[in-house]
Amino acid sequence: MIVAIGLTSGNSGASMQPINCVVVSYDSNTYIEENNFTESNLDGYNLKYVEAVNASNLLNLIQFFNATEEIYAMESARNYLTAKQIKIIISIPVDFSELISWGYPGLIDCITDSSDIQKIQENFNAVYDSIKIFVSQNNLTPQFEIIGFEEFSIPEDFSFSYNYMIVLVLSFMVIGVGMVSTILIIVQEKPVARLLLTPVKRLEILTAKYLTYMSILVIQNLSLIFTSLAFGLYLVGSLFDLFLALFILGFTGLALGIFISSLSKTKTQANQLFLATFLVLILLSGIFIPIDAMPIYLQVIAYILPLSHGSPLINSIITKGKSVFGFEFFTLLGVSLVLIVLSFIIFQRRKYEV
Amino acid sequence: MEITESPEDAMVSVENLNVAFGKKQIIHNVSFSVKKGEIIGMFGISGAGKTTIIRVLTCQIENKNWNGNVLVTGMNPNKKANYPKILSNIGYVPQLELLNLYFELNPMVNVEVFTSTYGMDKKEAKETAKKLFNILDIPKDTWKKRVKKMSGGEKKRLSMAIGLIHNPKVLFLDEPTTGVDASKRYDILSYLKKLNQQLNTTMFIITHDLEAALICDKTAILREGKLLEFDTPQNLINSLPSKGLVARISIENLDQKIIKTIQEYPSIQNVLRVGNETIEVLIDDFEDVLPKLMKFLFENEIKVISMSRDIANFRRYFQIRIQEEEEKETRQHQKELISEGGS
Repeated sequence: MIVAIGLTSGNSGASMQPINCVVVSYDSNTYIEENNFTESNLDGYNLKYVEAVNASNLLNLIQFFNATEEIYAMESARNYLTAKQIKIIISIPVDFSELISWGYPGLIDCITDSSDIQKIQENFNAVYDSIKIFVSQNNLTPQFEIIGFEEFSIPEDFSFSYNYMIVLVLSFMVIGVGMVSTILIIVQEKPVARLLLTPVKRLEILTAKYLTYMSILVIQNLSLIFTSLAFGLYLVGSLFDLFLALFILGFTGLALGIFISSLSKTKTQANQLFLATFLVLILLSGIFIPIDAMPIYLQVIAYILPLSHGSPLINSIITKGKSVFGFEFFTLLGVSLVLIVLSFIIFQRRKYEV
Repeated sequence: MEITESPEDAMVSVENLNVAFGKKQIIHNVSFSVKKGEIIGMFGISGAGKTTIIRVLTCQIENKNWNGNVLVTGMNPNKKANYPKILSNIGYVPQLELLNLYFELNPMVNVEVFTSTYGMDKKEAKETAKKLFNILDIPKDTWKKRVKKMSGGEKKRLSMAIGLIHNPKVLFLDEPTTGVDASKRYDILSYLKKLNQQLNTTMFIITHDLEAALICDKTAILREGKLLEFDTPQNLINSLPSKGLVARISIENLDQKIIKTIQEYPSIQNVLRVGNETIEVLIDDFEDVLPKLMKFLFENEIKVISMSRDIANFRRYFQIRIQEEEEKETRQHQKELISEGGS
C-alpha cells in the first residue's frame, strides 16, 4: 500500500536527478563565401546550445570539449562514458552553425549507453529538454538522434533482447530462488527446537544453514551461467566476475530468506512475508519504475534493497565488462551482513519449546 | 563451570523448586531426588506442572523464572555455563516424533545428525545406533529407508533411540505412549523397561497414561504445581486404608443419594464411582466392616447386584488422591466464603 501511494505521488514528490553529460563540439563557426572563398565567422550556435544544456534541469554538463582545438576530445568523452561518469555524449557536427544559420537542421548526435533499454528513454527526454530550450532561445530548430555507444553494443550475431532480458531473469531468479529456498528453513524445521536440547549452539545451527545453502547457491549459479552461455549470452566481462555477482546477489537472497524465516512464527506468516517482500523488491528495483522518479523516501528504501544493485551489477559485467568489485557489490555485501546479524539476534532470542 | 556434588548418589535432585512467569506461580516448593537407574513417572492432569519441572531440568527455562536448589547430573541449571555439560548428560524424547526426527532422511542419517551435535565419532555412533535399534526391534530393512515410510510404532522407537544415542545419564520422555494404539502401549513401556535394565539409564516419564506406573520405580503426583506424592507405586497403594483393599459393589439404580449414604457409613474412607452401576469402596478395617456395610445396604433397601474384593491399582490411588485434594480445596474455599460473609 505504501509503495503504491508512493509511486502514484512520485511525480509531485520527486525531482529527477539531472543526467550527467559532456558536449563535444566539432563546429567550426566559420562560413566560406562561394564567390571569393573568403572565410567569415558565424554566430557560435554550438555555444548557444551549450547554454541551453546548462539551462536544462534534466542535464548536468560535466565538461565541454572543443574538438576543433582538442584532438582527443571524443576519446576523452568516451572515457567518461566507459567509466560511467556520464550517461550521454552530445556531439555537435562540424557545420552545425552554418547549416542552422541557413535554415537547415543541424543534426546533433547523442551517444548513449544503449545496453540499458530503460535508460535510453530517460536520456532521450533529457536531450529533448535542452533542444526545447535552444529552440525557445534562438527560434531555430535543430534535429538530434540517439546513437548507441558501440563499446556497450551487442554484436549482430547475438540477440540484443536476449542479452537485455537475461539480466532481469538472472537477477530475479537468483534472488528469488535464494529467498524461496530459505524462508521456511527455521520456521518449518521442527527438529530445530529439539536440536537446542543438545550441546550445539544456536549460532552453529544458523551457520550450518548458511553453509549448506551457500553450497547449493554455487551449484545453482554455475548451472545458470552455463545455461545462459549455451543459449547465446554475449558476455563482455569475465565468467568469474559474473559468478561472483550472481553469488553475492543470491547470498543476499539467502540472508533475506533466513531473516524472514527467523522472524516468522508460522509457515503461512513466512510465505506471506516473502510475497510482500518480493513484491517490494521488484517494484523498487528500478527495473520497472526509475528510482530517480520515486519520492525521496522511496529512493532511500530502493537503494537499500538488493535488486536495485544486483541488476545493474550483472548488467555492467555482461555488457560492459566491468569488475564485480564496485559500489553495488559492497552494498549487497553490507545488506547481507546486516541481515545475517539481525537473523542471528532474532534466532538467539527466540523461545523454542519441545 | 560449577560442578557440585549432589546429595547421595542422586542423578537429579530438586529442593524447594518454585517457578513463576510474571506474577503467576506455576510450581510451588517442589522437592524430590532421583537415584541412578530409577524410572520416575510424573503424573498429573493437564496444567499440573509436569512439563514445567522437566523444562527446568532440561535448561529450557531461564533462571530468572525459577528458584530452588536443582542439580541435574551434579550440575545446577541456573547457570548458562552449565548448559552444554547438562545437555550432554541428558537425552530428550519429545511427545511428537516429527520434533525429533527428520522424516525425509533415513534412521542412520538421523542418527548422524544428532550424534554430530554431541561431537561423537561416526563409527562409534553407528555402533551405538545398531545396538539400540536391536534392543528396540527396529527392523533392519528400515534402517536405510526414509523415516516417513516407517510405521508409527517404529518411529516412536526410533525417536527413543535418538534420545539415547549419546548414552545419556538421564532420559526425559514426554508422553511416550500418547498417540500409540492401546495394544502397543504396553510394548512401548516394556521397551523402556528393557532399555533401563540394559543401559541403566535414569528415566523421567511425563505422562497422563497411568498404566506407565507399571514400569516406574517411583511416581510423582502433581496437582496445580504442587507435588502431592513422591514414592514407589506400591508404597502409595499401601498407604490407602486396609493397604489398598477395595470392595467393588454393583448396585441397581445407583445414584448420588446412594453414594452419599454409603459415604456416611462409619469407617468408609472413600467411595469411587467406577462405572454406571459400580462403585469401589475403601474401608478402614476391611474384613470387619465389609459384612456390616452389606447388611446396612440390605436394611436400607439398596439392591446389590454383585460384590467382589480387589487390590487398588495406581490408577485408583491417583483418582483417590486427586479427589481428596479437590475436596480439601472445596472445603477450604467454603471456609473462606463463610469467613468473608461473617466479616
